[in-house]
Amino acid sequence: MSFLNPILLAGLAAVSVPIVIHLLNRRKFQKVVWAAMRFVRLSVEKNRRRLQFEDLILLALRCLLLALLALALARPVSSRLAKTLFGAQVTAILILDNSYSMGMSDGTSTRFERAKKAAAQSLESMPAGSSVALLLASDVVRAAIPEPTFDLSLARRMIREAPLVDRGTDLAPAIQQAIDTLQRRLVLRGEIYVFTDGQAQGWRQLAQIQRKLEQVREKIRAHVLFVGNNEEANVAVSDLALGSGLVPLRQPVRFRARVTNFGREEARDLRVVLNVDSEPPCDEFSIEVLPPGASREVTFFARFRTEGPHAVTARVNEDRLPADDRRTLVARALRDTRVLLIDGEPGAEPRDSETFFLRHALRPVPESEAPGYFIKPFVISAAEAGGARFGEYDAVILANVAELPEACVRSLEDYLAQGGGVIVFLGGRVNPAFYNEVLARKWNLLPATLGAAYGQADQEEKFFALQDRNLDHPVVSLWNDPGSGTLASARFYRAFELVPAAAGAPSTHDTSAASDRPARPAPGEPRVIARFADGKPALMERDYGLGRLAVFASTADTAWNDLPVRLSFVPLMHRLLGAVAQREDEALNVRVGERFARRAPPDWLGREVTAAPPSSAGGASPESRRVEMRDGWPAVQYDRTDWGGLYQLDVRGIDPPAVLRFAAQPDSAESQLEELPEEQRRLLSGTVRLSQWSPQFTWKAQVERERQGAEFWLPLLVAALATAVMEMGLAQWFSRSR
Amino acid sequence: MASPDQTRLLDPETISRAESLGLAARFVVEGYMAGEHKSPYRGFAVEFDEHREYAPGDDTRHLDWKVLGRTDRYYIKQYEQETNYAAHLLLDGSESMNYGSGPITKFQYGKTIAACLAYLILHQRDAVALGIFDARMKDYAPRSDSRDTIHRIMNRLAACEPGQQTAIGSVLHDLAHQVRRKGIVILISDFFDDEDRVMEGLQHLRFGGHEVIAFQVMDPWELEFPFVGQVEFEGLESLPPILTRPAEIRRSYLREVEAFRTRLREGCERNQCHYVPVSTAQPLHEMLSGYLAFRARTTAR
Repeated sequence: MSFLNPILLAGLAAVSVPIVIHLLNRRKFQKVVWAAMRFVRLSVEKNRRRLQFEDLILLALRCLLLALLALALARPVSSRLAKTLFGAQVTAILILDNSYSMGMSDGTSTRFERAKKAAAQSLESMPAGSSVALLLASDVVRAAIPEPTFDLSLARRMIREAPLVDRGTDLAPAIQQAIDTLQRRLVLRGEIYVFTDGQAQGWRQLAQIQRKLEQVREKIRAHVLFVGNNEEANVAVSDLALGSGLVPLRQPVRFRARVTNFGREEARDLRVVLNVDSEPPCDEFSIEVLPPGASREVTFFARFRTEGPHAVTARVNEDRLPADDRRTLVARALRDTRVLLIDGEPGAEPRDSETFFLRHALRPVPESEAPGYFIKPFVISAAEAGGARFGEYDAVILANVAELPEACVRSLEDYLAQGGGVIVFLGGRVNPAFYNEVLARKWNLLPATLGAAYGQADQEEKFFALQDRNLDHPVVSLWNDPGSGTLASARFYRAFELVPAAAGAPSTHDTSAASDRPARPAPGEPRVIARFADGKPALMERDYGLGRLAVFASTADTAWNDLPVRLSFVPLMHRLLGAVAQREDEALNVRVGERFARRAPPDWLGREVTAAPPSSAGGASPESRRVEMRDGWPAVQYDRTDWGGLYQLDVRGIDPPAVLRFAAQPDSAESQLEELPEEQRRLLSGTVRLSQWSPQFTWKAQVERERQGAEFWLPLLVAALATAVMEMGLAQWFSRSR
Repeated sequence: MASPDQTRLLDPETISRAESLGLAARFVVEGYMAGEHKSPYRGFAVEFDEHREYAPGDDTRHLDWKVLGRTDRYYIKQYEQETNYAAHLLLDGSESMNYGSGPITKFQYGKTIAACLAYLILHQRDAVALGIFDARMKDYAPRSDSRDTIHRIMNRLAACEPGQQTAIGSVLHDLAHQVRRKGIVILISDFFDDEDRVMEGLQHLRFGGHEVIAFQVMDPWELEFPFVGQVEFEGLESLPPILTRPAEIRRSYLREVEAFRTRLREGCERNQCHYVPVSTAQPLHEMLSGYLAFRARTTAR
């Protein structure tokens, strides 16, 4: 016999309280001068023994009541006593894996349905008085019932209503939380039940899980039920991305979809289709054979007929895990893109102009078709830059601009913070001191400071080239495919060395003049888009506020390189323009579980936003949010992105009503159904009790043998209650007049 | 002039109600004033009672000549004489009478009864004597039918304070020895004494031909015992204190009180005494007029 709460045994001292009260009461009486003493004496003599006896009984009952209460609070337990007289109440934490791999069906039921059934069955096997908590485990832990409850009907309902989400799996945090919950509570017998499909992905922290469970093995028993069956086939759309830089209206826009065979057998005759919104498929592709483990990238083209956001969905033949057979992204179609080119070296002839090639690359059509083309470049000289209103353009390009006036830099910073895109080309006219001290250090706009320029521009023998493989950045990843040409053919004779700037520090300039504006945004991490073959950065970018700025280490004309006359220059410029001009649109596509946030106009502040989850959410009801301030700006935010697909946000209370759309894409790693290897299962079985689900599976036989020990607080409490009732009854009975 | 204490003792309402009823003796009493009471002494007054045969020594003035003429026998005429009676008011002045839960103690109540009765008796031109006793007769006003007697009685009642233990039995024995003339003995007490001795005393008085009326005066709390909580009872008449929870022995106490009063009543009835239980919560005029009305009904003139 031991006590879970031994410190409360000190409460036994309270037994003396009724005795003390009794003794004190004897001193507390009313004095009455009385004549008819003979009758009082006679009555007292006749009743004395009875009164003393009754006093003793009541005193004993009161002492017993306090002793029982103190013992009950100290929670005595016996670990050797089998569950018999006092039951074998358990405190259980049920962990239900609700990642999207649990949506795998065997043709009659999904793994998740089986897990729910087994979880409900585990409640049936629990003795009366048991308490249960329920955790839903994916790559995050959602507590459906955070603390153990004795209300098992609530637990049944919560199990029944538990949603399947399109998230990955990591069981370690859920198991850790279950252990913490059980350790925080004083329990004789804690049990953890994990209902999962046995996917290896969920057990990637197996060693840590095992260590934690081993540490608490004496008090907490863990049971793991694998509800998965050895699934052979799963083909998924593992990625869907925008292939073009810009999304112009009525122009073919490229999308890249990756189809992966996660099964163990080759997949044949796969039909991959692309839909825009709810229209019929606009493009499709057939894959004859896809070997196990192999991926195939498929390029689609789609045209958008209207401006604004469109949902683009790629689908592959539906299999038994439907969650990964489709993937959606949102692309915002633009009618035209206005680009301001600031020419730092206009030259005498148009061909000598620094922006000559750039202008033609951005609008690669004959002059007659120029008015209808979706990119509209406007050229001004560096001297005119001070009067330019950057806000009227989707992007601003500085080409070999020596330096800019302070006011112009301030406007540029403001433009970037509010979502503008800037591309900086360097050259011979550039004043490195201005770029380093003002643009880089003072305003923190540049992703890199300028080192020394290297190479000789006036000779053709010595040159260097861009990297030709391992192009990771989306702007240049197109050229990983040799069929798309190469960037490495361009010759570079001279370039500035780009020295990446430190990340995160806000700009150090004086903001007193602009104190009415929100605080300066912290600049983003500098990223390298492309490198030279020797590894030096050639093209870098950095996010600033809602905008983005890119720096090219060389010139935009042929003064320092011949890239402008290469075939790759046009797509590179378009993709780079897309990257900086539509940077804000990247936020329209999030990972499942990521927060969606988009800057809103000031008059939206405080408005209600109703978010409708995607149809794959299995009937999840719309939720309401409010437009709130974020980083100094009103922002529409939504964080319950548990499902892949298209989300629609209706902003209410404005005229006309506004609709925002964004898409969430799940982590494709969850599509990998590879199960926990046999060797690791054996290892795990040393700590936990492993079971495999079958239609005949029952928990009763599994758990009853291990439920040894009993806790006595309940019978003690019942006895205390009975004593209290008896005391009250007897006190009432004894105090009646006799 | 009556003192305020005296005035308090004479309850005007009681007097006015009781006057109309009078205090008729239940039995014939010995008296020497022609009054409203029958005398046990055959005499020569106006009301004929019976004849008896002449015996030598009888006064020949009372010979019934008509009977002699008709029957030739000597008969003496006997008359029933209405006479004044003497009432002995005996008030218990022991310490136990000093208890009162309200504004009035049993002793004060007893004093008022005595005063009112004395006034009524004197008003009827009967004689009254007052004795206040505890273990002995500690104050005694001899009988008198003078109208001034009322003042003397009032003064004595007003001046008396209760004290000492009680011994009703011996006081009654002494009285029975002392008072030769038959009359009414009105005993006002709580009777918290040895019951047998009390009964013997009453018996002695009855043996002496006295009519006895016993007013047992008790406080309402003595009759109801309404105490709650823990109480220490400090006894009057030097009894040791008792600590108890009265609510739990209330029924037992009431049973004892009731048994005591029953014994007292039965004892009185055995001795042909009037037993009148009185609560000090009862208005005196009600109690007294009620009793006198009862007396008027049951007394044969």
